[in-house]
Amino acid sequence: MSKGNLFINGKQGDKGIVLGNEAIARGALEAGIGYASMYPGTPASEIIAALDKNKNNIENLYTEFSLNEHISLHGAIGASWSGIRSLCAMKNVGLNVASEPAQFLSYTGVKAGLVLAIGSDPGAPSSSNEQDDRWYSLHTYMPIIEPSNIQEAKDFTKEAFNISEDFSFGIMLMAPSRLCHNAGTLHFGDLRDRSNIKGNFKKDPENYLNLFNMAVKNHSKYLERHNLLKKYLEDSQFNYTVPPDTKKAGSKIGFISSGVIYAHLIEALDILEIYNHKILKLGFTFPIPDKLIKNFFEGLDKVVIVEEAEGFLEFQIKKMAYETGFRGEIHGKDIFKAAGELTLDDVIIGTGKFLEKAAPAFFDFAVKKSEELKEKLPQRSGTFCIGCPHRATIYSILKAVGFSNTDAKDRDVVIAGDIGCYTLGLLPPYNAMDFLTCMNAGLGIGQAISRFDKKKKVIALVGDSTFYHSGIPALLNAVQNNADILYVILDNSWTAMTGHQKTPSTQKDIDGTLSNNPVNLKDLIKSLGVSYIKSLDPNSVKRFASQVKSALKEPGVKVLIAKRECILQEVRRNKLTQKVSNVKIETAESLYEIQKSRCVKCNECFVELACPAIIPKRDNNENGEYYYIDPASCVRCGVCFEVCPNSAIRKVEFDLKSELNKKVDKVKLTEIKIQI
Amino acid sequence: MKRFNIAIVGLGGQGIITMGTVLKNAALDSDLQDVSGSERRGGAQREGYVETFVKYIFYEDNSELKDPKKNMHSPMIESGGADVLISLEPLETLRGAYYLNRNSTVILNEMPHIPISVRMGQTSYPELSYITCELEKITGKIFLYDFDKISLGNFNSLTQRNIIALGVLFAKTNIPIDKTVIENILSAGKGAKDNLEAFHIGLTL
Repeated sequence: MSKGNLFINGKQGDKGIVLGNEAIARGALEAGIGYASMYPGTPASEIIAALDKNKNNIENLYTEFSLNEHISLHGAIGASWSGIRSLCAMKNVGLNVASEPAQFLSYTGVKAGLVLAIGSDPGAPSSSNEQDDRWYSLHTYMPIIEPSNIQEAKDFTKEAFNISEDFSFGIMLMAPSRLCHNAGTLHFGDLRDRSNIKGNFKKDPENYLNLFNMAVKNHSKYLERHNLLKKYLEDSQFNYTVPPDTKKAGSKIGFISSGVIYAHLIEALDILEIYNHKILKLGFTFPIPDKLIKNFFEGLDKVVIVEEAEGFLEFQIKKMAYETGFRGEIHGKDIFKAAGELTLDDVIIGTGKFLEKAAPAFFDFAVKKSEELKEKLPQRSGTFCIGCPHRATIYSILKAVGFSNTDAKDRDVVIAGDIGCYTLGLLPPYNAMDFLTCMNAGLGIGQAISRFDKKKKVIALVGDSTFYHSGIPALLNAVQNNADILYVILDNSWTAMTGHQKTPSTQKDIDGTLSNNPVNLKDLIKSLGVSYIKSLDPNSVKRFASQVKSALKEPGVKVLIAKRECILQEVRRNKLTQKVSNVKIETAESLYEIQKSRCVKCNECFVELACPAIIPKRDNNENGEYYYIDPASCVRCGVCFEVCPNSAIRKVEFDLKSELNKKVDKVKLTEIKIQI
Repeated sequence: MKRFNIAIVGLGGQGIITMGTVLKNAALDSDLQDVSGSERRGGAQREGYVETFVKYIFYEDNSELKDPKKNMHSPMIESGGADVLISLEPLETLRGAYYLNRNSTVILNEMPHIPISVRMGQTSYPELSYITCELEKITGKIFLYDFDKISLGNFNSLTQRNIIALGVLFAKTNIPIDKTVIENILSAGKGAKDNLEAFHIGLTL
């Protein structure tokens, strides 16, 4: 966002470039929320982050990065019952954790408006599954609102709070990653007066006590409210039909879509130059407006539903079509795939094929060309940041169990993965994990494997944030039931992967402020009954590896804490506290270099450790390639120095001041090296 | 309605998303302008493929602005739909090549980052000449620079390579945005002095 801080000061008439997630947060702000919480998760994290980083300049706003989604949604319910409009956000799989409070929300209803914003992740670029949370509505009865673009993300969120209050439902707002991380034009609205946001919990036992026949009563009450909402949505602003181009004859084929996929559909039809079909846009996809859809069916003999994932709309519309007697064809998942992201290309191809309209020549050419190229391109996968302590931890564990990264299937240990930055260790070259599913599956599944396969040692990995999320009961369970497992907690003090939210392990914020109540992780684990606990710096790879080895020889539950702060946060704090806006090479006081004369290219640093700062280079005077530590990207963590078996890597320290004095102009590192 | 689509590709940590944000903020001057475009962030991981789209939309008049068949835009660019492809990594240019058509302009950085699969010896990194040759089969408008070297040489840091590439975008393409708008955005942002200098270096390349 440019032009000052529009996010908190913007008003009617202002316009800015805003991220989809920020637009949702802004809509909630315009609706006058007093509570915002989430457990961080890509792609939804910026929804609450946008509010949290501005909270000191927003009157009467409480924000919270809760320890997990279950707690977070309960917090939002408590705020709502206290008369405070509340926003709770989470990623798609977060709702699995929060599904219990979600199951009760329709029974009890809300007091002040409550919106649950869900960031889904089709194609799973940042997730371990592609689940479509819209299906939750069929049993929770939570209504679903689906914005199609940035403007709707704000406007729908704002309006969702009114609907939530009018019908006493928590409203689910669905935002796939393509909306969460779409950045575009937003027209702002006015903010509500925030001075009167004050909590008052009015007792309401008729609704809030949900047991025995009271639960049954609440059940029938929410079914009634559901029908009222359904009626309201028949002619609301959210659902409408876009008529065909009047200049052209109307077709007997109509389209129904929602959310971002609706935006794909409109653009796809424009690219295909097709304008003679009517299109039903559904802003609410649960409940669906029966009469509106029935009217839409008039004059059609084919209906095409364009949507992502398994066909949530198709499921509802087919049922409704049966009840209303529509006997035309209904298409959907027979045209558009369920697995993987439904892209603009997919919609162009599917729609074009169905309507027998050829795509433009440039499109076909590009599709063909990219298919040719794709086969020849080397794969590229993400990896740990340069200097990331997780790289050292994963490397040490692999060394301790006597394996390099070649073939994970041959290892006689089982390494259980979990969710966080360290998950990247399952990718090449490390291939360090034998399974990965959801939060805290590592220790949960791992402890049972260790019980039934006595031949293999089991190592379960977990990050600090994931451990606090729901790992404590898993660890206590392992202790109480005498599991035999090594639990490695990779404690980097932050929920790093989602943009560095604090965890109970965070000791110091990046501006240097000390946290007032950090948890002593060792004490916490000790109190759960674990007697074997060691905490050490994973960057001392040899020490760490030998500690893993000795721990594996011990019976029972062993805990190793790989304690080192996320390098990105350490670097950021250094920049901030030293008030250096941009750390440049010329401010470096040391560097690591590979001495060509000693390096035999054994690949220990280049392939096994695989630090991206170590790169191959070609020298004109010599034959062949040599390895080189790029001083511009190296963060001086020194791990390569430790792993080199030939002492070919050395640390060079120099007196920066005297070096700078020697040069009148900008000092270039290459020149410094020559002088040493 | 006219569209001008820019796809920016490269690796995590190269400043791809920042470039997109700067370009998008240039579309706020007129009510008849709109901008959309999603980012693929792929977690916080480094060395992975990252792309961002900048789709400028120019409406003919107010009636188009209100036409529901014209005023809704996908956050993505279709195959062959890019007027410009900017790539900060040579190999990733080929991965992003499906956005290209015969009239597209390609601006690419020649500094390679070798993927893990190459590090492990499973595949080899294509020669730069192969990459440019494949691109030339699609379009003749290819501009190749070592943005890393230029940034290091001028700023002793890699931070400015993306802003230098932005300068090239304004020098070599018919982007329908005034470069002074970008200068104003850069002046108001962090590291204004270096960024403005970097943008001007790009303009003269």
